[in-house]
Amino acid sequence: MARITAGIASSHVPLLGVAVDQGKSRDDYFGPIFAGYDWTREWLAASTPDVVLLVYNDHASAFDANIIPTFAIGCGERFRPADEGWGPRPVPEVIGHPDLAWHIAQSLILDDFDMTIINEMDVDHGLTVPLSMMFGQPAAWPVRVIPLAVNVVTYPVPSGNRCWALGEAIARAVASFPDDLNVQVWGTGGMSHQLQGPRAGLLNREWDNRFMDLLIGDSQAARAIPHIEYLRETGSEGIEMVMWLIMRGALGARTRLRHRHYHIPCSNTAIGHLVLEPTE
Amino acid sequence: MTHDIHAYLAEFDDIPGTRVYTAKRARAGYQLNQFCMSLMKAENRERWKAGEDDYLAGWALSDDQKAAVKARDYNRLLDLGGNIYFLAKIFSTDGISFAEAVSTMTDMDFPTYRQMMMNGGRPPQGNRSIKGGW
Repeated sequence: MARITAGIASSHVPLLGVAVDQGKSRDDYFGPIFAGYDWTREWLAASTPDVVLLVYNDHASAFDANIIPTFAIGCGERFRPADEGWGPRPVPEVIGHPDLAWHIAQSLILDDFDMTIINEMDVDHGLTVPLSMMFGQPAAWPVRVIPLAVNVVTYPVPSGNRCWALGEAIARAVASFPDDLNVQVWGTGGMSHQLQGPRAGLLNREWDNRFMDLLIGDSQAARAIPHIEYLRETGSEGIEMVMWLIMRGALGARTRLRHRHYHIPCSNTAIGHLVLEPTE
Repeated sequence: MTHDIHAYLAEFDDIPGTRVYTAKRARAGYQLNQFCMSLMKAENRERWKAGEDDYLAGWALSDDQKAAVKARDYNRLLDLGGNIYFLAKIFSTDGISFAEAVSTMTDMDFPTYRQMMMNGGRPPQGNRSIKGGW
């Protein structure tokens, strides 16, 4: 049977992809950010999962203003890196896992989550930057990836509670897949940042760290954080953190912390990173 | 959590210096954002750079929206329904970084904004609520 063995949370700032692609990841500015991922890279090299279900948001790349799916799952064979306006990132194609993806999609719909199913889409920095942070610059990504795109741009975005519940439903779906697969769920985006308006540049170290605390152990308090609190406390783009709750929900009743990293700033954004494992 | 959409949306207007991208803004900005999206294609970027007026003539934008695009007035574009991830296609085509473009929406020049970020960013204190001042 397939099983979820770990969850990873990580920011997905596009500038981090630029740093990797241009060989700057160990300079004075980026070095402290990337050093916080060293533990994870070594750990993943020793225990590479078969499949990563990667929760992210599209930044006006695959989806324009026309169609706005709240939850979309990529069921295709492969996904190309998107041209975000300056050419695609020089990273490998992302290879999907259609059997598991379709199984999850079907199971979620039966479980009252009305997913949008995507066969063809390009994947932007929201998905490829976390892969670069965890795996560096391989010739091919060492895992299959199921993209799960969440609308966190056009309001109302899904509630934190709904995201957590989706994670719980993903765990049930994975557990009923007959093949023996090691699956991780990654929640990406965040942490505090605001990219627009006169309040741009808002960061909130205290709130971000309290949020990370809430994902460790058996607390369910983060489910109830309303959108307005993310907006007031963490900036207009801090709402991306609801995607971390899908990862957390997928890990079950209780988690234990394997690794934690926090750094300010990367461009306009606070960087946060967690590695969690489910416990009985 | 409120399930009253009116109360839910009303709270967004109490956040200082922030335009939350609501359905109302998404409607007003639909053509503007789709114009921005067109700059994802290299051939369209070339046409845009060759003549902004000619390129804009092909899009059903309001005169205000066209003027704000030409002026790269991003706060105004937010007011007119633009979303930052779509507007990013304009400043990416201009060759301007995200952080520099973002700084133009604040009351700081780019070096000052960048230094604020290095110093820990804009603090939440006093920036959470217009009415409450907290």
